[in-house]
Amino acid sequence: MNKKRMQPWPYLLIAPALLFVASVIFVPVLNAITMSFQNYDLRRPQNIGFTGLENYSAIMIDREFWSSLGNTVVWVLLAVSLQFVFGFIFALLLNKPFRGRGVIRSVSLIPWVTPGVLIGLMWRWIFDGNFGVLNDLLLRAGMIQEKIPFLSQTTTALPSVIVAIIWQGIPFFALMLLAGLQGIPGELYEAADIDGASGSQKLFQITIPSLKNTIYVTTLLRIIWVANSVDVIYNMTEGGPAKSSQTLSVYIFLKGNQLNLGYSSAMAVLLAIMLSLVAVPYLRQMFRQN
Amino acid sequence: MKKTFSIFIAVIMCIAIFTACGGAGTAPAPAPAPAESDSPAPEPTPEAPESAEPVTILHWYWSDNDSWTAAMEENVADFNATNDKNITVVLEAYPWDGGGFSENLFTAAMGGGGPDTAQFKLTATPLFTANNLLVDLESYVNGWDKKDDINDNIYSIMRSAHESNGLYVMPFCTQILYVYYRPSMFEAAGIGIPQTYEEFLAACATLTRDGTYGFGMRGAANGHEPWGSFIQAAGGDFTDFTSADAVKGMQDYLDLFNNGYVPPTAPSDGFNEIIANFQSGLTAMVVHHTGSFQGMVDIFGDDVSAFQFPGGKGRWTSMGDTNNVIFEKAENKEAAFEWLAYLAAGKGQEVWTVGTGNIPVSTTVQNLDFFQENRFYKASIDGVSFAGIFPIRDTTTEFITSAWPANTQAALLGQVTAEQAMAEMQKVLWDQ
Repeated sequence: MNKKRMQPWPYLLIAPALLFVASVIFVPVLNAITMSFQNYDLRRPQNIGFTGLENYSAIMIDREFWSSLGNTVVWVLLAVSLQFVFGFIFALLLNKPFRGRGVIRSVSLIPWVTPGVLIGLMWRWIFDGNFGVLNDLLLRAGMIQEKIPFLSQTTTALPSVIVAIIWQGIPFFALMLLAGLQGIPGELYEAADIDGASGSQKLFQITIPSLKNTIYVTTLLRIIWVANSVDVIYNMTEGGPAKSSQTLSVYIFLKGNQLNLGYSSAMAVLLAIMLSLVAVPYLRQMFRQN
Repeated sequence: MKKTFSIFIAVIMCIAIFTACGGAGTAPAPAPAPAESDSPAPEPTPEAPESAEPVTILHWYWSDNDSWTAAMEENVADFNATNDKNITVVLEAYPWDGGGFSENLFTAAMGGGGPDTAQFKLTATPLFTANNLLVDLESYVNGWDKKDDINDNIYSIMRSAHESNGLYVMPFCTQILYVYYRPSMFEAAGIGIPQTYEEFLAACATLTRDGTYGFGMRGAANGHEPWGSFIQAAGGDFTDFTSADAVKGMQDYLDLFNNGYVPPTAPSDGFNEIIANFQSGLTAMVVHHTGSFQGMVDIFGDDVSAFQFPGGKGRWTSMGDTNNVIFEKAENKEAAFEWLAYLAAGKGQEVWTVGTGNIPVSTTVQNLDFFQENRFYKASIDGVSFAGIFPIRDTTTEFITSAWPANTQAALLGQVTAEQAMAEMQKVLWDQ
C-alpha cells in the first residue's frame, strides 16, 4: 500500500524540469514542424494557412537550396575533417611535457571561446583584399605578386570561410582528445616499447583505438554544430559573393529573416532529417563498437 | 516532515511554471477599439479645447548613442512642461539592434501591448498596416497648421510605403546620401565637381591613378542605395529594372568594376570596407550620409567635402528615414498626434536634429545656420527634392538582403549579364 502511494513522487518531483525542457525544446520544435506545412509568411498574414507539402515540393525545385546543400557538404566535410586532423596533432603535442605547457593549453582555448560573430569580423579583415594582413604576409614572402580579393571571388570565398571555422574548432578537438589521451594507461605504451613497436604502430594500435569513443562523439558534435553554423559565414561573406559561400543554414536564416517562416522551417526540418541520417548510423556504430 | 516539504516544493514549482507559461500565452490581449480603427479619425483643430483629463502617451524610440537619448529626454521634458492639453509623454528607450527594434515593436503590438506612439522605419509599414496596427494620419496632417513646413516630396515618400497611398507615418528626420570626395585629388586630376551623370562616370575614370580608385563601390548587402542613383541617372526607375535605361545604368555600374575604376574587392565590400577605403585614400569618392562626416573631417580636415549625386536622364538619391507612428491602441489619438507634430516641426524638431545630426524634415529648421553652413548637411538638404526610397513591398527585404547583392555580385563577376541580373531582380521585387 505504502509502495503504491510512493509511486507518483518521483514523477511529481521531476515534473518541473520536464515541463521546462518541454516548453523550451519540444514546443518550438513542434511549432517549426507545424509551420513547415503552412504558408507561414508574416509579410502576407492574410494568407497564412496549411498548404500540406507545398513548401517541401517548392524546395525540391529550388536551385538555391541545392547549391546551398552542396556548399554545406563541402563546408562540413572540409571543416570537420581538418579541425580533427589539426586538433589531434595539437593534442598530441600538448600531451608531451614541455616548459610552458599550461600556458599554451590555456591560450589555445581562445579561438573556441571567442564568439562566432567576432571571429567572422576578425577573419573578414584578415582576408581583406586591400588591407588584410594575409595579403601583406604573402606579398612580403614573395608568394603572390598582387593582392588577392579572397572574399570577393567565388573560387576563394568558401575556402576562406572554411579556414576561419577550422581555426575556431581546433581547440575543441584538441581539448577533448587531450582528455582522452590522458586517460590511456602508460603501461600500454611501456609494453609496446618492450615489444619494439614503432611510433606509428603505437599511434594506430594503441592511441587511436583508445580514443575511438572520444573521436566518435567529438566528430558527431562538430558535424552538427558546423552544419548549423551561421555566424562566421554571415559575418564574413553574408553567403556571397553570388551565393558562392551560402550554406543551407545561412539560407534558412536569410529566409527566416525575410519572414517566410514556413519555407525556412521546411528547410530546417529537412536539414534536421539529413543530420539525423548522419547521426543515427554514426551513434549506432559507436554503441556497436562498445 | 521531509516528505511534506518535498511535496510542497514540487507543487509550488509546478504552479510557478504553469503560471509563467500560461501568463504569456493566455493572458487576454487588449484588443484595439474597433470603433476607433474602423471610423475615420476626427479632424483636429488648432483651437481644440483643452482636455480636462490628463493623458499619458507611452512613446518608444531607439537610441543610437547618448546624444539621441539626451535630445529625446530634453524634448519630452519640454513638451510635458509646455503643452496646454495636459499631455504627459512617457519615454521608453530601446536599442536599434540591427532592426530588432521593429521586430520587438511588432511582437509587442501584436500581443496587445507596446506603446501608443513609436519611432518607426518606413520599410516596416506593410507589415504593421497589414495587421491593422497603425492609425491613418491623413486627416490629422491635413488639419495641422504646420503641414506645409515639410516638403511635399517627403509626404509622397511616406505615402509610397502603403499600397493605398495612405499616410501612416509622421515624418521626423532623414539621412540623405551624397558623395564624399577629396578636393585635393580632384585638383590633382584637373577636374571639378561633376555636374552631370556622364561627368561623374568620367570622373571615376580620371581619378583612378597612382594606386587610387575613382569610386568606392559597395557590392555587399545594402549597396542597392548608391546603385539606385546610377539606375535613375541613366533614365531607369525601380518599377521596371528590365527597361533599356535601367539596364544601361546597371551596365555603367558594372563597367566601373570591369574597367578597374573601383577596388577589386568591390563585390564583397560592405559599409566598413568602403569607408576604410576612402579614409585610407584608396578611393577618391564614396557615397554615404552625415553619419560619417565627423570621422572624415577628423582625418582629412578641409580636404574632404560633399556633393549631391548628379543627374542624367533622371536624378535620385536614397533617403534613409526615421519617422513616428500612432498605434490603434492609443486611447487619445489627438494627444498622440500633438506629440508627433511637436517632434516634426516644433521645437522638438530643432532639438532632435541639431542634437543628433540627423537631417530635419522641417524647412524652417533646415534653414538654420547650423545646417546651411555645414557642407555635409548642406549636401544632404540639397537632395531633399529628389531623394527617394526603394519601393516598399513585402518583397523589399528579400530584394535588399538577398536578390540585389547576389545578382549584382554575379554580374560583377561575369557570371550573368546586366540584362539577366536585372531580370532576376525584377522577378523578386515585383513578383514578375
